[in-house]
Amino acid sequence: MTRWFENITPGEPFPLGSHTFTEEEIIRFGRAYDPQYFHIDPELARESHFGGLIASGWHTVSIGHRKMVDALFAEEERLRGLGEEPGVSGPSPGVNAMDFKVPVRPGDTVTYELVVNDKRASNSIPGWGLLFNRITAVNQRNELVYTADLVSFSKLRDYKMPLRLRLLQALTRVPVIGRRLRRGA
Amino acid sequence: MTNPVTKDRRHFEDLAVGEVIDLGHETITKDMIFAFAREFDPLPFHLDEEAARNSLLGGLASSGWQTGGLGLRMLVDRFLSTVASCGGLGFRNLKWKNPVMAGDTIGGTVTIAELRRSNSHPQWGIVTLDFDVRNQKDKPVLTMRLANLVECRDAGAPA
Repeated sequence: MTRWFENITPGEPFPLGSHTFTEEEIIRFGRAYDPQYFHIDPELARESHFGGLIASGWHTVSIGHRKMVDALFAEEERLRGLGEEPGVSGPSPGVNAMDFKVPVRPGDTVTYELVVNDKRASNSIPGWGLLFNRITAVNQRNELVYTADLVSFSKLRDYKMPLRLRLLQALTRVPVIGRRLRRGA
Repeated sequence: MTNPVTKDRRHFEDLAVGEVIDLGHETITKDMIFAFAREFDPLPFHLDEEAARNSLLGGLASSGWQTGGLGLRMLVDRFLSTVASCGGLGFRNLKWKNPVMAGDTIGGTVTIAELRRSNSHPQWGIVTLDFDVRNQKDKPVLTMRLANLVECRDAGAPA
């Protein structure tokens, strides 16, 4: 969330909204990224144990990511509206676990929610914190579609860089030394 | 109840631990990055070259979900479409090791790490696949362990 690391309370749920999957977009995503017959061909998909076309798990997850990005922008707007400076979120180093439960079929509406389960300061990148997020996706029958345990970076507001690191950072701005330092990092 | 789509494909019994699947190669263009980002990951550093240069990534890079999706497509083309795949169960330890920049070419391998029969569904086996996706400089960009179901030819055989 685009809140400062210090303002994030573990356990607080962030609703990310819903998405209704159409047959057209399921097939379009499947053709590009997961062209197995049960993701791209409604006729052949009937022969599978799914009994019909289903969305690629990667598609449901990519939409979940989009919903999270939209929520980050909305939170940023909200904080600016209150006259506050929003926090800064960074790229994600990875996903610890992703479990697909029931498949998503054309016309299904999936609702996503994010909970920050835990947070700590990053050991490798000074000035940033790590958030341990769980995204839960359910369909219109409240059946679990997937759960994901993701890690993301969030900037620390109250971080004071130690003198040693400030010197190092200044050195990386000197062209020749900087290139060497970055190569060594 | 033979599935006419997959009856002539390799089944669970035909797979062996240690089999290595070559993913081939795919070049990521600026337009591919923009198209994916507009739909799934509209962060400034995937949509705007100027913003990308000033970000932690240092230049226009693909969404990590796009990199994984392309790795998946390469696996489907060279493996999952050739076996009696019954869908994915999920994955563990996905790591985005290095960003994939516009113009980079990705490739790499997927290795069959484990094979076991499903306890709850005797007609299925679970194949565990280790992804090692790399760029043209042989730097790792993505690793993960994916679990996928593959139909058994003989569901009655002891597991």
